[in-house]
Amino acid sequence: MILTGTEISKQVRGGRITVSPFDSARCTTNSYDLALGRRLVVYQEEVLDPRKEPAHEQREIPDEGYLLAPGDFVLAETAEQIGSDHYVPMIHAKSGTARLGLFVHVTADLIDLGFVGQSTLQLYATLPVRIWPGMLIAQVTFWVPYGEIRLYRGKYQHADGPQISRSYQDQPVAGHA
Amino acid sequence: MILTGAFIDEEVRAGRIVIDPYRAEALNPNSYNYRLGEHLKQYDEHSGQFVEVHLPDDGYVLSPHRMYLGHTSEVIGSSVYAMSLIGRSSMGRLGLFLQVSADLGHTTSCHRWTLEIVATRPIRVYPGMVVGQVSFWRNRGELAPTPALYATFNDPSESRIGAPQ
Repeated sequence: MILTGTEISKQVRGGRITVSPFDSARCTTNSYDLALGRRLVVYQEEVLDPRKEPAHEQREIPDEGYLLAPGDFVLAETAEQIGSDHYVPMIHAKSGTARLGLFVHVTADLIDLGFVGQSTLQLYATLPVRIWPGMLIAQVTFWVPYGEIRLYRGKYQHADGPQISRSYQDQPVAGHA
Repeated sequence: MILTGAFIDEEVRAGRIVIDPYRAEALNPNSYNYRLGEHLKQYDEHSGQFVEVHLPDDGYVLSPHRMYLGHTSEVIGSSVYAMSLIGRSSMGRLGLFLQVSADLGHTTSCHRWTLEIVATRPIRVYPGMVVGQVSFWRNRGELAPTPALYATFNDPSESRIGAPQ
């Protein structure tokens, strides 16, 4: 079951969902609209290697916007901190964003129960597109879980700004180097 | 409703979810981490066909903006729950798509899933690395399974659209 916008608002007020800052006017019928923050991260590696910490550079989106060329991939942040110990959040593009050919995540839409922080957006442009600080770029939905809840204690907890991949911290699985 | 990790674990043990091989440490709060299998197919524009690649242990570099077919190491399925198979955020943060907007796994399917892999930047991938997550969802209503096609395949399998019946 998916929460309605009215229920999201109620659960935020009751402290069972974190959306901060929160503006009830941004509740849609089934989701909450997320704004783009200012910070970006761009990788500097010629070839990314999930086993190595990737060199990267931090940038800021200026007031006049930041132009993405087709094929560009950058990490960005939601302006809001989001999370819940009770409902499973999922990230989606707003359809207005998708209609510009802009992905807001790269097939990683599901957030773990217990995570709280700024969500890292994985922006991938298929058309030339200008992005603006504060633009409503994405939306988050909340889903009712079934079963005993064990909360997230992972490496991206309390994310402050866009977080690079930390796959290089993974423990190798037995049977594979 | 989406199953929690603890409940996925219970259902695997009860036989209502199949994840093989299964590692309890790969459970997340509301999903399970699957791994990349060792076979890949890449599209060859000259022949118009997919060519097989065996992933070496020291990894294989994917070219950006090119489509590859891969597969999960694990056989994954359920005759009770519907599934959604996505990339994990540590791969999304590296710009690696694990599927091309086809995340839904039908109830009753059980096989190694074909992954539609697209890199947005050059990236090295390794056989057996944890690349994505599968979540399980409760159904409402009577189950009337459609005949399985892709769900009978365990290797990276190209589209059968337009193929002879």
